[in-house]
Amino acid sequence: MGTAEPRHRSDGELVSEALKGSQPAFGELVRRYQDLLYRHAERMTGRADDAEDVVQATFIKAHRSLRTCRNPDRVGAWLFRIGSNACKDFLKGRKRASISLDEVPELPAEHGNPDDSLERTRMRGEIDRALQRLAADQREAFLLKHVEGSSYDEMSQILGVSVPALKMRVHRAREELQVLLRAYER
Amino acid sequence: MTMDSRVQAYLDGEIQLDELPPELRSQAEAWDDLLGEVRQTAPAGAPLGLHSRILAGIEGRTPARNLPAWLEWLVRPRPITVSPLAAAAAAAVLLLVIARPWSWSGDDAGEVVGEVYVQFVVDAPTAETVHLAGDFNDWLPTVALNDPDGDGVWSGRVALEPGVHEYMFIIDGSDWITDPNAASFQDDGFGRRNAVLAVTSLNGT
Repeated sequence: MGTAEPRHRSDGELVSEALKGSQPAFGELVRRYQDLLYRHAERMTGRADDAEDVVQATFIKAHRSLRTCRNPDRVGAWLFRIGSNACKDFLKGRKRASISLDEVPELPAEHGNPDDSLERTRMRGEIDRALQRLAADQREAFLLKHVEGSSYDEMSQILGVSVPALKMRVHRAREELQVLLRAYER
Repeated sequence: MTMDSRVQAYLDGEIQLDELPPELRSQAEAWDDLLGEVRQTAPAGAPLGLHSRILAGIEGRTPARNLPAWLEWLVRPRPITVSPLAAAAAAAVLLLVIARPWSWSGDDAGEVVGEVYVQFVVDAPTAETVHLAGDFNDWLPTVALNDPDGDGVWSGRVALEPGVHEYMFIIDGSDWITDPNAASFQDDGFGRRNAVLAVTSLNGT
C-alpha cells in the first residue's frame, strides 16, 4: 500500500478553515507567505529584528481581520498589502523617532557568501545602504520588480497603484541608485 | 541624473539587449550585474523561529472575534441607544436597532441565545443600488438596501448575532464606502476603514 500524499490545499481553502478557527490552517498560510513578507520587510526596514516585528504584526493583523479578505484565493496579495502598509507605518514611526539612516547597520554579513571577496562584501554593503536611502515607495516598487521579479501588472494588483505610477517609481529608484552608488565610489 | 529611456525600457523587460545601440549596452549590462548583486544580498527567507513566534502571538484567538479593549464597554449588556433619524438628514447613516431575542436552533448553537435586528440606513441620493457587506455575510454584497419612496435614503434590516461587527456599504455595485456615522472604525489593512457596530441583545446575554 502506497503512502497517500497530503492533499495540497488552496489558499482559499486554508482561509475558509482558518475562519472556522483552525490554527493549523492559518499556520500553513504563515508558512507559505512568511518568507516573501520577511524578505520584503528586511529590505524595507534595513534591520532583521525590525523585519521580524513587522512580519509578526502583519500576520496578527491579518488573522484579526481575515474576514475582510475579499478574495481568499488571492490571500497572498492581501497579506503583502498589509505587510507593505505595516512597513510604511514602521518607517513613519522611525522617522518620528529621528533615527538617522546612518544608524541603520549595513546589511548584513550573515547573508553573504563566505567565499565572497572583501570587495564584493563592501559593494553589497553599499548597495544596501543606497537602497535604504530611497524613498519608501520607490524602494518598495524597486524590490518588487527586481528582487521578487513581479511584473508591473502584478505589482499594480498587489499595491493598488496604477502601472504608470509604479513604472515611474521604479525608474526614479534606478536613477537615484545610480547617483547614490557613484557617490559611494568616491 | 536621468537615465536613458531605452535603458529603462530594457530593465523593464520591454526590449532586448541587442535592440540597444552599442553605446548603451555596457550601461545596461552594468545594471544587470548590479541587479544580480541586489538579488544575491536579499535574505532567503524568514529566520528560524519566526513561524512559531507568529503563531504564539495569535494562539487562542479566533479571527475577527477578538475584541479591542477600547470596545469592551460597548458590548456590556444594556439597551442600545438609537440614533435619531435627523442624523441621516445631516449626512449619512442612521442605525436603528430593534431587538427581539429568540431561541437559536442552528448547528452552531453554542452560547448564542439570540439575534438582534439592526436597521441600516444610508443617505445616497445619487445611487442606483446600495448593498451592505460585512463580516456577518463574508463580505459579500448580499444584503440589498431599498429606497421605496425615492428620497435617496436607503435602508434594510438584518438579523445579527450579539457582538462586534464590521461592515461597509457598496454603492452601485462597486464603490465601497465607510459609514461616516459609525460609532467606531477599524483599519481594513488596505488603507481604508470599516465601520464597526457593537450589537447587544436586550435580554442581558
